[in-house]
Amino acid sequence: MRLDFANKKISGLLTVLPRNERSFLDEMANFNFPISRSLKLKAVMGYDRHRLVDGPVCVSDLAVFGMTHLFETGTLKRDEIDALVLVTQSPDYFMPATSNVIQGRLGLHDDVFCVDINQGCAGFVVGLIEAFMLLEQPAIQKVVLINADVISRKVSTRDRNSFPLIGDAAAITLLERTSDAAPIVASIKMDGSRRDALMIPAGGFRQPSHPATATMTEDSAGNFRALDHLVMDGAAVFNFVMMEIPAMIESLLTAAHRDIGSVDAFLFHQPNRFMLQKLADKLGVPHEKMPSNVVENFGNSSGVTIPLAIALNLRQQLRDTTVQVCLAGFGVGLTWGAMLLALGPLHFCEMIDYP
Amino acid sequence: MDGFLIELADVLEEDVVTPTDLLEQFQGWDSLAVLSVIAMADSDFGVKLTSKQVNAAGTVQGLYDLMNAASMTA
Repeated sequence: MRLDFANKKISGLLTVLPRNERSFLDEMANFNFPISRSLKLKAVMGYDRHRLVDGPVCVSDLAVFGMTHLFETGTLKRDEIDALVLVTQSPDYFMPATSNVIQGRLGLHDDVFCVDINQGCAGFVVGLIEAFMLLEQPAIQKVVLINADVISRKVSTRDRNSFPLIGDAAAITLLERTSDAAPIVASIKMDGSRRDALMIPAGGFRQPSHPATATMTEDSAGNFRALDHLVMDGAAVFNFVMMEIPAMIESLLTAAHRDIGSVDAFLFHQPNRFMLQKLADKLGVPHEKMPSNVVENFGNSSGVTIPLAIALNLRQQLRDTTVQVCLAGFGVGLTWGAMLLALGPLHFCEMIDYP
Repeated sequence: MDGFLIELADVLEEDVVTPTDLLEQFQGWDSLAVLSVIAMADSDFGVKLTSKQVNAAGTVQGLYDLMNAASMTA
């Protein structure tokens, strides 16, 4: 689906990373694989360090920490927030919504629209679309989009398929109306028939958690996990991304009458370096225009990886210049989306550690 | 086929691989190797292979035949 937005912009960005850092080299012994093969995996995928919450830290903890930082530094005022959109797959509770939890913990007024969205690796693009749609309302001037996940708490430490790449993080994006912004074009697609490629099978109402769903079993590749853990069919996800994403970007550029060379930076979801380099090659984009350094530094924090890619690679530039960017998110759902927009100058673009 | 053999040897971290070699006998034949083969099929042959198809190929020759058969029908 093609979506168009006018007179709206991203005005600021803050990322929150757990201070706790783990290294792939230290964790290799947990996996049931020869060390030489794990080192090959590290080299190919770009695994190195990743940030994980230490203990029972929740999404609202990361979000409240980041929002409080913005209030205390005078970057944002409590009473200017009209809507709070939270994108997460690791809510504090089944009910109430974690966006309401955040609103309550921050002491925001009651004239604020709070909504939780269950999306993962496409969550930044989906969140932006939702926020831009809310900004169509005259009563809504500013929207706070929060992408946050603590999915490491649902990944088996003995799963070499998923654990080395997982990361926890939060990002707070401020969006507002403006009279002088360039048009924004986006595209979003979903295919729930392929939902099995990435999921946490147990813990919801379909298969409630039970001692049996916590039993660790070995898969055909030698990974140990339980039904309570995240499971990913990496090969199926790879094929999905290679099939759908280049085609989506090309049709989006055509729709926007833009040449691929006019894009300064391709800020894509960061599953691993391998997949991003294959995507860049397929699109004919030089690797330096498509950063792939988030996984090696922080891990893959699903919907937070695009904000991390922006903050890590462009935060100096975005303080006073405009960068033509192409965003793309893809994963669980399956869901995939892309957006072309002019980013910056930003009112704020900062990275902080929790706590 | 020579280019394919060199690329596969690199994936498996072997000095050389020959068509009759059984894939299972390589220490490097794991999920990463399967994904690398799938990526090779996509970029060099323009075909999509599933991990099930790759795992069922049996030998180096079987893998090569699989890619060629898929590229002819693609």
